[in-house]
Amino acid sequence: MIKLENIEKYYANKGVKNYVLRHVTTQINKGEFVSIMGPSGAGKSTLLNIMGMLEEPTYGSYFFNEEDVTHLGERKKIELYRNHIGFVFQAYHLIDEMTVYENIEAPLLYKNVSSGERKSRIADLLDRFNIVAKKDLFPNQLSGGQQQLVGIARALAAQPAIILADEPTGNLQSVQAEEIMELFKKLNREDGITIVQVTHSEKNAGYGNRIITIEDGVIKEDLKIG
Amino acid sequence: MFKLNLKIALRNLWRNKSITAINIGGLAIALAAFLILMIYVTYETTFDKDNPNYNHIYLVGRKSSAFQTNFTPPSLSKEIKANFPEVEAAGTIKHNFFEFAINKDANTVFAKKHIFIEYEAAKILNIKPEHGLTQPAGDEFIFYLNKPYMETLFPGKKDDKPEMVSLGSKSAGHTGKISGVIQTDAHSNIDFDVLTVVKELGKGENYGYNNYFTYIQVKPGTDIALLTKKIEKMYRANTAKAFGEPDWKEINSVNVFLDPLKNLHLRPTAGTDTNYKVVLAISVLGLLMLVIACINFTNLSIAQAAKRAKEVGVKKVMGVFRYQLVFQFITEILIQCIVAGGVALILAELILPAFNSLFEINLNIWHNNTAIFWQLPAIIMGITLIAGIYPALVLSGFRPALVLKGNFQTSRQSYWLKNSLLVFQFAVAVIFIVGLFIINSQLKYMRTQDVGFKAEQVVAVKNMAFFTDPKVFEPVREKIMQIPGVKSVTVANAIPDGSKLGKNGYTAEGKKETLGFLDVDFDYFETLGISLKEGRFFNRAFKSDTVNSAILNESAVAKYGLVNPIGKTIRGCSMDYKIVGVIKDFKSEGFENAVEPTIYSLNNPCGNAKLEILIKIEAQQMSAALEGLKRQWSSINKLDGDHFRYQFLDELYGRLFKKQEQLQAIFFVAAMLTVFIAVLGLFAFAKYVTNARNKEIAVRKVLGATDLQILKLLNSSFFVIVLIANLLGWPLAYLLTKKWLETFAYRADMPVTPFVLSALITMGLSLLTVSIQASKSVKAKPVDALKYE
Ligand SMILES: Nc1ncnc2c1ncn2[C@@H]1O[C@H](COP(=O)(O)OP(=O)(O)OP(=O)(O)O)[C@@H](O)[C@H]1O
Ligand SMILES: [Mg+2]
Repeated sequence: MIKLENIEKYYANKGVKNYVLRHVTTQINKGEFVSIMGPSGAGKSTLLNIMGMLEEPTYGSYFFNEEDVTHLGERKKIELYRNHIGFVFQAYHLIDEMTVYENIEAPLLYKNVSSGERKSRIADLLDRFNIVAKKDLFPNQLSGGQQQLVGIARALAAQPAIILADEPTGNLQSVQAEEIMELFKKLNREDGITIVQVTHSEKNAGYGNRIITIEDGVIKEDLKIG
Repeated sequence: MFKLNLKIALRNLWRNKSITAINIGGLAIALAAFLILMIYVTYETTFDKDNPNYNHIYLVGRKSSAFQTNFTPPSLSKEIKANFPEVEAAGTIKHNFFEFAINKDANTVFAKKHIFIEYEAAKILNIKPEHGLTQPAGDEFIFYLNKPYMETLFPGKKDDKPEMVSLGSKSAGHTGKISGVIQTDAHSNIDFDVLTVVKELGKGENYGYNNYFTYIQVKPGTDIALLTKKIEKMYRANTAKAFGEPDWKEINSVNVFLDPLKNLHLRPTAGTDTNYKVVLAISVLGLLMLVIACINFTNLSIAQAAKRAKEVGVKKVMGVFRYQLVFQFITEILIQCIVAGGVALILAELILPAFNSLFEINLNIWHNNTAIFWQLPAIIMGITLIAGIYPALVLSGFRPALVLKGNFQTSRQSYWLKNSLLVFQFAVAVIFIVGLFIINSQLKYMRTQDVGFKAEQVVAVKNMAFFTDPKVFEPVREKIMQIPGVKSVTVANAIPDGSKLGKNGYTAEGKKETLGFLDVDFDYFETLGISLKEGRFFNRAFKSDTVNSAILNESAVAKYGLVNPIGKTIRGCSMDYKIVGVIKDFKSEGFENAVEPTIYSLNNPCGNAKLEILIKIEAQQMSAALEGLKRQWSSINKLDGDHFRYQFLDELYGRLFKKQEQLQAIFFVAAMLTVFIAVLGLFAFAKYVTNARNKEIAVRKVLGATDLQILKLLNSSFFVIVLIANLLGWPLAYLLTKKWLETFAYRADMPVTPFVLSALITMGLSLLTVSIQASKSVKAKPVDALKYE
């Protein structure tokens, strides 16, 4: 599903290259649940952003579903965002001016999903995540865990093949974090959604089936588990 | 999708109520001001525009180095029509120069702006009597009244039959026939209340009788420059023919010009283009207001960027195209602009009456300018694009990878732009503040300066009896003098209310110069309290005074360079005058023009009729004296009529200040508005900046900074902005006001205080605004700001 070949990324500062990623080559297959781990500043977020095409690598190539997407135009990228990739953020990033319902509905609107289909999909998600009662509340009226649930529901609404999550539980307490991880596991197992998450917690990483460890921009370890 | 965007937009606007109100309010105020100014400018620039031949009508005038005038001989129009086939029609107009009464039984009206017009001129100028324009037969006079006069004289008249009236004093027994009602149009160069249509004006009068306006209508495609040359050649030849021994040098020094109808109102060749400049300045002012409001809008929208950044990032990773985001932000701005447009219309309706009374016109948003129905929407769209495009591009351009990281700071990105826009706003405010103070100082100067004569307690009486011969006036004067309280009485051909003097050539010590002439009677200088420099005033004791004595003013003496002028001879109008006195200059034409070198005499065969009676009255007995004059007027001045009508000279003279007072009022409002809008902008901007720095403030407080130190910190950047605005605004304000002051022959020195005051005002206001905003953040407990990490 994702194939990275010799990815390099550096930031030039006063002529000095500061490498964030070096010779990263890896492949993530459909149906995997991958956790990226490593010390702070190691380049985890950068790697995830490159996978999400939010940043471009300085060198190397990136294949998404066998297609070279290293340098992709806006139109093509947006097509991928709409149909294949869902993002989950550490800070949830719900739109404050929209209700829970509208937040989940937004990506469907951009995809021009018919209104009947929208209604049934959202009802289904609300139901699944147990937040039906909250659907008319605004994000600031929810707890952090609830917000992240909405964030995930939003990412799932467009029925993506892969979810990229940067420390999805970083702002949450352990009970809520467990809930989210269980959810990810379920999505991965039952719906076959590929998941790539960045996490600092061994425990969270244990929910997945593969752990990639990065240090100083280099893949140190790539471990299959479970 | 559109609905959702709309919903978000409204929620967003509602959440930031105060900012939204500032944004919409500021724009609405500016838009209202712009609307009114545009209606005014449209009004001023479209005089006579509904004339179907608007672009083909010209007024024929003459100019030389000494004069520019529209007064032409009566025969000129016929000669032009006869000789030049490209001229489709030509006709003349003559203004009646005195007011007269029109009576019917107990009802009286006064024809104040009576004009005589030839049938052909009436056709050119689209004059419309209510029942159509009919051609006068032979020597027939067709006499029309405007509607209000007709209704006063013949209340309840239903039919359109002609009516008989008596004209002037009832005892004089003149009668006239009113043919009907005529529509008058204040929005036309041809301004009248009573109109007489005749077939031909000035029969028997020839070259030299320059009392007529000549209007021509040319065929489309006429070469105006060529036609002007041809008319000039003919005019010179005919002038030469009319005078026995033509003075070719003089004749050739006169040029003919054709003044297009569209220039007549604002910038006639024979007149000033001050009105044109004022209209131009007002247009610029209106645009400036709008620009400032747009800037506010842009600034505030960008300032909100930090709040919207997350939304942009999230939407982008959801798969939203950039153009969709641009469209969304533009829509939000459009909504605000539409609301502002509505509010602006309401404001404009509310302000218009005050504006109308200031400018003595009657503008109406809906009548004067039907174009407003498409103009306003167009302006709103325009503002939306101008004010919205940049913020929309900035906002929609955020890179999701950056904004979604969480600690995104927008302030850096557009810092430079936001600050320079703020500088611009304040610089404009500075210009208006300085301008206002300088206008004030010039007006104060004009009100307190000695004008060289005393207009107080002098009454100017409206009169239509000719008193050119002092002997005719003497009995009238004696009767007036008998009324208790009257100190002195005189008559002259003009009053010092800004009216221009007639001009003629005079020779002294072999030097020929053009002088203004004023034909006066005994006691003229005494009545007006004018100071004598040397020699004497006119005096009944000197028999020669009614024959050939003359008095010059200082400027005239200086123009000839006369030393010891008393007793010297000055020649003009084919006669020799003896100079008996020199008076100090007095500013009869106000402060804009230098005092005209003038000759004063009792006897001037080339002069104009003396009609203007001036009476100086003791202040304490003013009302009694006026009462007495009113009662006895018909016996005092039989030739004039039954009605004693007067104006106070100081009020007439004060009208010369009207234009400056209007300008002052406009500047006052403009200064208030620009300052207000700039402060609004600053207020909102400060709010965002302090909000954005909330965390920094909290951290600093935790580190031990005092409230005052933090206030200083927050104020300092705005202080610099306002300081730069002043530094930029000053030179421009200096140049502009200097230019304005230079339009006055007599002016106040350029004061320094306005510049200091503008700095104090803008800085004081910004200090206040920012501190009010900042104090909230400063007072907040640090924990609250630090909690959401
Ligand atoms: N725009 C940038 N300019 C310069 N350097 C950058 C930029 N963005 C990231 N970096 C650097 O890249 C390195 C990797 O950053 P990255 O955010 O990927 O780390 P991370 O592994 O996600 O760390 P953390 O666990 O703290 O989130 C860091 O050293 C950071 O300083
Ligand atoms: Mg990270």
